[in-house]
Amino acid sequence: MAFDRKRRRTWTYSVSFLVLLVALYMSGGIVANLRRVANVVVAPFSWSVSEIARPIGHILAGAVNYSDVVAQNQKLRYELGIAELHANEAWSLERQLSEMTTKLNLPFIGALPTVAAQVTSLSPTNFSASITISKGLKQGVLVGMPVVANGGLVGIVISSGPNASTVRLITDVNSSIGATFGNGSSSLIISGNGLNNGLGATSVPLSDNVAPGTVFSTDGLNGSLYPPGLPIATVSKATLTPGAATFDLTLKPTADLRNLTYVDVLLWEPST
Amino acid sequence: MRRQLIPAAIATLFVLAIQLVVFSGLRFAGVVIMFVWLWPVAMGLAGYSVLALLVGLGAGVFFDLHSVTPFGLTAAVGMILGYATSRLGREGVGDLDSAAWWVAPLIAAGAGFVAPLGYTFAGFFAIDFQLWRGSVLAMMVVNATAFFILSRPVIRVARSIGRLGEGAIR
Repeated sequence: MAFDRKRRRTWTYSVSFLVLLVALYMSGGIVANLRRVANVVVAPFSWSVSEIARPIGHILAGAVNYSDVVAQNQKLRYELGIAELHANEAWSLERQLSEMTTKLNLPFIGALPTVAAQVTSLSPTNFSASITISKGLKQGVLVGMPVVANGGLVGIVISSGPNASTVRLITDVNSSIGATFGNGSSSLIISGNGLNNGLGATSVPLSDNVAPGTVFSTDGLNGSLYPPGLPIATVSKATLTPGAATFDLTLKPTADLRNLTYVDVLLWEPST
Repeated sequence: MRRQLIPAAIATLFVLAIQLVVFSGLRFAGVVIMFVWLWPVAMGLAGYSVLALLVGLGAGVFFDLHSVTPFGLTAAVGMILGYATSRLGREGVGDLDSAAWWVAPLIAAGAGFVAPLGYTFAGFFAIDFQLWRGSVLAMMVVNATAFFILSRPVIRVARSIGRLGEGAIR
């Protein structure tokens, strides 16, 4: 291969620079600073592109989706009415449950303090399922805190800056959650299969009697990353594992992860 | 060289902004179009090897800083794509003026097709064995299609930047 000197030098410098950056990045100490610098450098360009792209996007979306938006608005009003009704009904039940769990010395989601945050951006890449939210260290959001929204578990905080945090969604390929269902007698691990593929669980014993529609929630076992009782997902398909007496489950997240606008961060840290 | 580097750096930052603001939010079949990879491919097809390497590195590093995936992978894939296409670009394959209209888009589509696969394999070097569990095939098809459609205007931009210092760096 005929490299000329200039290209060879550029290759060498580029690869060395990249390796140096990776090494510095993996050392961990300067990650937040690097991210901050990158954000500051890119911000003016993002702002100008956004100022141009947003009106165009709105015009196109408005022209194409107007009837959908109206229908969605009507549906949301109806659902809001039902939710308010249920909220009123649930209030007294929740208080009773909270009191009972306190007596039993169990944590209960209703009793946990939360921080509401706006979703500021979705994962920019295909290879991770994550979101960025508008609250960080200054508001008490720490790495490891669970995030909920839209009726279920959304993910876990994996990095936290002063006023922003990154949340790994439960559908991320690196996500795995201890889960249980029914009376909580059996536990299994639910893994993320990527943003578009939902969740899955393998090697579930036939004796567990899992059927489509079964709701899984966090098991909250000792040392778990999540408090108990957070709804995770619903079974959408159970297939018999070929050659084994177990199920493979396809699960749909309880929370609608494609339409996240606001989330609640549970100010709860895993026990050590 | 300086005459090209500054406009190339500014264009790269705009490419990154377009990626983050427009393409990362617009998912087709649930897939993000990786505009930050098309940029070094376009620079390479315009025949500028060194610039293709540099914009691949720059766009990739900045993009990786906005993502939670293993740091450096996007940059590494961008550099390899930029260099590989620049080998063709320097031979005049895919030249916008002399070659058939579909040659450059087809090469770009090929780059878009292999890029997600390359990224997935590169993940093994970063000791991340989970990347293949995403919809890699969908990523390959969507990116190939997008690169085919977008390549010609992006190559024109790359060529106009490269011509700012024609002869100084190539």
